[in-house]
Amino acid sequence: MLNAYPPEDQWDDHQSLDAKEWPRRVKRRFRLVPTTCFNCEANCGLLAWVDKDTGRIAKFEGNPVHPASRGRNCAKGPATLNQVEDPERILYPMKRVGERGEGLWERIAWDQALDEIGGRIGRAFREDRKHEVMYHVGRMGDDTYMERVLHAWGIDGHNSHTNICSSGARVGFATWMGFDRPSPDFANAKVIFLISSHLEAGHYFNPHAQRILEGKANGATIICVDPRLSNTASQADHWFSAWPGTEAFLLLAIARLLIENGTWDREFVERWVNWETYLTETRPDLDPVFDNVGPALLDHYADYTPAEAARVCGIDEDRIREVARVIGAGLGGFAGHTWRAASAGNEGGWQVSRCLWFVNVLTGSVGTEGGTNANGWNKFIPVTPINPEPQAEWNDLTWPAEYPLTHHELSILLPHFLKSGRGKLDTYFTRVYNPLWTNPDGFTWLEVLSDPEKVGCHVALTPTWNESAWFADYALPMGVASERHDVASFETHNGQWIGFRQPVMRRHGELEGETFDRTHEANPGEVWEEQEFWIDLSWRIDPDGSLGIRHQFESRENPGTPLTLDEYYAMLFEGSVPGLPETADAEGVTPLEYMRRKGAFALPGDQYRVYERPVSDADLAGTERDERGVYRKPGTAGSYGSLDEISGHMPLVGDGSPAIDIDGEARFGFPTPSKKLELFSETMRDWGWPEYATPTFIRSQVHWEDLDFVAGERILVPTFRIPTLVHTRSANSEWLNEISHRHPLWVHPGDAEELGIEVNGLVRISTRIGHYVIVAWRTEGIRPGVVAASHHMGRWRLDEDKARSWGAGKASIDRDADGRWRLRHEHGNQPYDSAEPDTGRIWWSDTGVHQNLTFPVQPDPVSGMHCWLQRVTVGPAQPGDEYGDVVVDTDASHAVFEEWLARTRPGPGPGGLRRPLWFARPVKPKATAYQADWVQGRSGPDA
Amino acid sequence: MTRLGFVLDSGNCIGCHACTVACKSEHDVPVGVNRTWVKYVETGVFPDTDRHFSVMRCNQCEDAPCMTICPTSALFRADNGVVDFDDHNCIGCKACINACPYDAIYINPATSTAHKCNFCNHRIEEGLEPSCVIVCPTRAIRVGDLDDPDSEISRLHANGGGSVRSPEQNTRPRVVYKDAEPSSLDPLAAAIAPDGLIWADTTPAHPTPTPVALTAAPSRDDGAEMARTVYTTQHKPVWGTMVSGYLVTKAIAAGVMLVTALLVVLGHGSEQAAVGVVPPMVAGAFLALTGVLLVGDLRQPGRFHYLITRGNSSSWLVRGAYVLAGFAVCLAAWWIAGLAEAGAALSLLVVPTVLFALGTAGYTAFLFAQCEGRDLWQGRLLLPVLLSQTVVAGGAATMVLDLFLEVPEIVAVQTMLAIGLGANVVLVVVETRGRHSRHVTMAIADLTLGAQRTRYLLWLFLVPVAYPLILLGGVPAAVGGICALIGLFAYEDAYVRAGQSVPLS
Repeated sequence: MLNAYPPEDQWDDHQSLDAKEWPRRVKRRFRLVPTTCFNCEANCGLLAWVDKDTGRIAKFEGNPVHPASRGRNCAKGPATLNQVEDPERILYPMKRVGERGEGLWERIAWDQALDEIGGRIGRAFREDRKHEVMYHVGRMGDDTYMERVLHAWGIDGHNSHTNICSSGARVGFATWMGFDRPSPDFANAKVIFLISSHLEAGHYFNPHAQRILEGKANGATIICVDPRLSNTASQADHWFSAWPGTEAFLLLAIARLLIENGTWDREFVERWVNWETYLTETRPDLDPVFDNVGPALLDHYADYTPAEAARVCGIDEDRIREVARVIGAGLGGFAGHTWRAASAGNEGGWQVSRCLWFVNVLTGSVGTEGGTNANGWNKFIPVTPINPEPQAEWNDLTWPAEYPLTHHELSILLPHFLKSGRGKLDTYFTRVYNPLWTNPDGFTWLEVLSDPEKVGCHVALTPTWNESAWFADYALPMGVASERHDVASFETHNGQWIGFRQPVMRRHGELEGETFDRTHEANPGEVWEEQEFWIDLSWRIDPDGSLGIRHQFESRENPGTPLTLDEYYAMLFEGSVPGLPETADAEGVTPLEYMRRKGAFALPGDQYRVYERPVSDADLAGTERDERGVYRKPGTAGSYGSLDEISGHMPLVGDGSPAIDIDGEARFGFPTPSKKLELFSETMRDWGWPEYATPTFIRSQVHWEDLDFVAGERILVPTFRIPTLVHTRSANSEWLNEISHRHPLWVHPGDAEELGIEVNGLVRISTRIGHYVIVAWRTEGIRPGVVAASHHMGRWRLDEDKARSWGAGKASIDRDADGRWRLRHEHGNQPYDSAEPDTGRIWWSDTGVHQNLTFPVQPDPVSGMHCWLQRVTVGPAQPGDEYGDVVVDTDASHAVFEEWLARTRPGPGPGGLRRPLWFARPVKPKATAYQADWVQGRSGPDA
Repeated sequence: MTRLGFVLDSGNCIGCHACTVACKSEHDVPVGVNRTWVKYVETGVFPDTDRHFSVMRCNQCEDAPCMTICPTSALFRADNGVVDFDDHNCIGCKACINACPYDAIYINPATSTAHKCNFCNHRIEEGLEPSCVIVCPTRAIRVGDLDDPDSEISRLHANGGGSVRSPEQNTRPRVVYKDAEPSSLDPLAAAIAPDGLIWADTTPAHPTPTPVALTAAPSRDDGAEMARTVYTTQHKPVWGTMVSGYLVTKAIAAGVMLVTALLVVLGHGSEQAAVGVVPPMVAGAFLALTGVLLVGDLRQPGRFHYLITRGNSSSWLVRGAYVLAGFAVCLAAWWIAGLAEAGAALSLLVVPTVLFALGTAGYTAFLFAQCEGRDLWQGRLLLPVLLSQTVVAGGAATMVLDLFLEVPEIVAVQTMLAIGLGANVVLVVVETRGRHSRHVTMAIADLTLGAQRTRYLLWLFLVPVAYPLILLGGVPAAVGGICALIGLFAYEDAYVRAGQSVPLS
C-alpha cells in the first residue's frame, strides 16, 4: 500500500531517500513546511521540502490537508522551485540612478527605501493629496490585508487588474444575486456548462479540474462554449464553437427551450425570483400572478429560437435542442461557469454571465448539490482583527463618474485619465502587476510611466524584473509563494476553507531555534514580504502617530513597537475563523500554530442552499418588514434617511437587510435589494440602463455580421491561457517555459488560404491603432472567421544582459518621424551562462509577440470591462515586416479611448450617488463618500 | 511478488503537464530531456475536431530490451519489477536509447549517464507513490500491481480494456493506457505539420514522419487518416559518425586479416612482410582505432573498462568486446609468428583468426538486432551485408597496401574484392526493395530518398567507379579501394542515421 505523502507526524523531521543517489540508499532529512502556491488565483496548497542539511528548499509538493487542492497541483505548483532558485531574481532593494527605463540601478538598504517612500507618502497625506497615492495590484495574495492597510491610511487608493479580467462576468452575476461569482458544485453535477477553459485555466484550474473530472466520472455531461478547441473543449461531450460575442444568444435560446419544453423548476423560480417585479415592469398588461411568468418569458424571448440561435451563433440547431434537453433532464444539477473568456471579450460580455445564471435559476440549480452556489457562501473572508474605519474618500481616477456600475476600478483608463489632466500620482505602487505589458495600449502606459509630472514616483514591488518595473524608480523585491504571509480562501467547491501562506525558510529557521525580526532575514538575499513592509512603511509615513496611522500598525502586546505578523495572525486565527480555535485546542496547539503546521483549515458544515436558512429573531431585532417582505434595518444601505446614518463598514455586498419573508418565514435570502434573485434588475433601470434590466443579448464590437471578411477582417481572440503559464508571473520558471514558449496565431486552413497566408508564414494583424507581426499556425481547432493567439508570450527586455528570464526576448523601442512607437524583436531566447547550468541548455528561441500593445482600450460602457476581442485585419506580412514587430500610434489610441468613453451613461444615480451602495467594491468607503461631490457643486467629471 | 506498472488514463488526462514538471523537480531533470511528457494529437475537421492527450514514458517492459543491451547492467530489474538504473554503472554507450522502442531513455547532460523513469523507486521503497501520481490533478496516472489479479491494471490486461504502445515489439509493457486515442500511441499514425507545435518551438529534434516517409508509407496500419501531433518533446539521434566510423574501421581490420588468411591458405605463409607482419599491424591499427571510436563515443569514456569488470553477458556490446579482444590476441600472435617467420604457426592461426575476424565483422548485426527501437537494423540481411562489407574493406585496404609491398596473389584478392562489392550491392538492394513494416519502410525512405539521400547516392556512385579501377590493379586499384572505403563509410553513416530517423513516440 502506497501513500501520497509522509504522515503528518513526520513533517517536522522526515527522512527520505535521495533520488539522485538511488539505488544507493542515501537518507536525507527534511522538514515539510506547508505554504500556498502563488502561480494562479487558486492558491493551492504546497508542502515545501526543506533539506535540513543544505538548508534549502529541495522541492514543492502538494499539501494533502488542503481542502481545495487535496495534495494535487498543476504544473505551476512544483515549478515554484524555479522561482525560488531563479538566477535572475531581484535580491535587494534597487533604486533607479539613470533616466526612467535606462536600466541603471543601485542597491540600497531597506531603511533608505522605507524612509524615502514613507516620507513622500507622509507629505502627500499631510498636504491633503491622498488621491495621489495608489496601490495597483494584479493578483493579490491576501483577501483582507491591503483593505486594512488602505483603510488605515484613509485613502481610496486601491487599483486592481480586474477590468482586464473579470469585471464583466461579475456585473452579470451581481445583478442577479448580489454575489459576483458562481461557485459550481462540479463533482455532483448532472450538467457542467463551461464558457471558459476550466481544465487548463480559469478560477480555479486545479481544484476545479479535479472536480469536473469527478463529475464526468459520475455521469455528468460536459458542455463547453469556446471559439477555439481548448483542452477543456476537447474533454467536453459537446463543444460549441459559437461566434465570439453570441454566447448570450445561445444561452437565451437554451433558456427559452427549457421553458418551452416545460423542463424548468417552477417552484424554485416562484419562491426565489423577483418575478412580480419582472411582470409589473415588463408586462403591465398581465396580472402579476406566477402562472403568467412562463408565457411572459416565452413572449419576451420569442426571437431566441433554436433556428435563429443556430444562425447567429453559427452552430448546429439539433445540438442546441439536444443540449437543452440534457439540461432540462438534470434540474437542480446545472453547474455553470464563465470567467474572463466571453464575458471579458465582448461589449455586453457581462450579459453572458447574466444569461448563464438565468439557466441556473430556471433549472433550480442555485446552491443545490450539483448546482451552482454563490461564491460568497463558499469563500470565507475573515474579519481583520484590527479593523480601521473605512476611508471617507472617493478616487475619481479609479472610480470615474462615467462608470457607476463597473464592478472594479477602471484601471486600464488610468494613463488616459492622467493624460487628460484628471489628476496625477505622487506615489504609485505596482504589485504582481505589469501594466505596461499586460494592459491594452501599453505604449500609453510607457509614456505615462516615463513622465515624472504624471507619476511622481513609481515603486515596483516585484520578485523579478518586468517591463513595467524597468521604468520604475524603486524595484523592491517581494517574496514568491514560499517567502511571505497571506491568508486566502476561494470558492472551489461546496464548503469553506482558509489557507495560510507562510515564509518557509523563516518557519524552518524558527523551528531550528533561530529568531528573525523581519522575514527578509530568512529569505534569499533581502527579499521581503509585503505584509511586514506595509507595517514598517506605515510607521515611516506617520512616525509620531499624528496622522492616526501608526496606531493601526502598532503591537497590542507591546505598545510602542510595530505589530508583528505572529501577533496579527494569532489574533486573526483566534477570533475570526469559526471552528478553528476548537480544532486547534483539540490538538493541543494554538490556532496560529495549527495553521503553521497544516497550512489550511476547512470550516465545519456544508454551504448548500444558504439562502433558505432561517434568520433568528435576534437578528431581526430592530428591523422593519417592507411591503415586499424584506426585513430592513435602519442605518444600513437598505434603510436610511441620509448617508450619515450609515456608520462604519458597510457589508461587502448587499444593503445590510438581514432577511426576507418567504411564505411567512424569515429567510436569509440573497444580498440584493429585493433579497431575491433579480430577473428584473431595478438597479440597472435606475442607473441608466433600463433596456438591460433583464437578461439580454447585446451585439458586440466584434459581431460577425458587421465584419468585412472579404477585406480580410477577422475576429482576434488574443486572450487564452494555456495550462502551464500564468500571465507574466511564469516567465521565471524554466520548467514551465521549456514546455510552452510559443504562441502562433491559430487560423483555420480555409481562412489561411483565403487570406493568402502561407504555411508557417508571417502574418500582419492590424488593429485600429497599429499592427503586429506574428507567425501562423493552421488548425482545425478554430472557427473559420476567428484567429487566436495566447496572451502569455511576447515578453521582452531592453538590456541584453539584465532582466533575463526563460521567456523574454531582447527588444528595442523607438519612435518614428510620425511619432509612432515601434517595438522591434531583436532576438528570442538564447542559452547563457549563470549559476543555473540549465540557462546554458536553453534550446528554444521563440518568445512570441507582444500583442497587447496594439489594442486600444475598449471599456464596456456598463461594466467597464476591457473588451479584449479585437476586430482586426489579417493578411500576410508586408515588406520590411519582421517577426515580433509592433507598431502603435498612441494618439489614435487616445481617440479610441474618448470614443468608448462617450458611450457611457455617467452617474450620479438615484440619491445623487456615485454607485449603488449595495454593490460590492474593493476597499469599500464610508457611505458618505458615495455622495457625488459634483452634485454638491465641488467638481465634476469634466472639471 | 509485485510487478509494478502504471495505468495511464487518457480519458482523465487534461494535458496539464503537471506530471512532467513534478518529475523534473523530483529528479532534477535538466532542460532538454524528459523522463515523462504529455503528447497531444489532434484529429477531425472543424467543428468535429478533437484533441487527445497521452502520457509518454518508460513502459517498464516485461521483456526490456534496454536491460538486455545494457553492457554494464546499469539498467536492472528491481525486486518490485521496475526497470531501474544505477548511475554509477553507466558508461554512456547510449545503446539502451536505441534499444528502447519508446523514446524513454536519454543521456542526462549533467551526469553523462542514461536516465529514464524508474517509477520513483526511491519513493516506492519508502511507501510513497511516484511524484507524477501524487501531483496529477485528475488522477490520470495510477500505480498498479500486475501480480495482484484484483488490481485495476490486471483487470485492464485481462479484459482487453487497455492498450499498450508498440505491441509488435513484444516487449510486453507494464504501462497500460485507458481510453487512449490510437493515433496518440502509434508514433507513425500522427505527424507534426510544417507549421509546428501548439506552444513549443519545432526544431529538427522533434522527430516526426517526414513527407518523404509518408509518401513511401502513406496509409496507417489501421487504415485511418493521419492525425496531427501538436505537442511532443525533442529526441535527438544518439549514434552518428563515431558509430559509422567504427563500423568501417573494424571492417578494415577484420577484412585485412581475412585477405591475409586467404593468402596463407594459398601457401604464402612465409611472406614475412606482406603476410606475417604488415597485415596484423594494419589490422591492429584499425582495431585500435575501432577501440578509440568506441570509447570516444561513450559519454563516460573513463568507465570503458566496466565492459569487462561489470559486463552484462547478454549484451552484444560486451560479447563484441570479447570478440574484439580475442581478435586482438590473434593479431598479436600472428604478428609475433610473422616476425619469427614461423609460417607453420601462421597456418595454425588461420582458423582462430578467421573466426574472430568474422566475429568482429558480424557481431554488430547481433548488437543492432538488440536495438529493438530501430527496426531498420533488425533486417535479416544485416549479417551478410556486414560480412560483404568486411570483404570489401579488407580487399580495398589490401589494394592500397599493394602499393607499398608486394601482395602475392593480387588477382585472387581483386576477385575477392569484386565479389564482395557485388554481393554488398545486391544485398543492400534486396534489403531496401523488399516488403517491410511501416517503420522500416519509412527508415528506408529516409535512407534512399530522404535526409540520407546524399550519403546513399555517394555510395551508389562510388561502387561503379571503384569496380573497374579495382580490376585494373596497381595505382588505379588503390584509388578504387579508397573509393570503395569512402562509399562504405557514406553508406554506414546513412544507414546508422536512417535507422534512427523514425519517431518512436
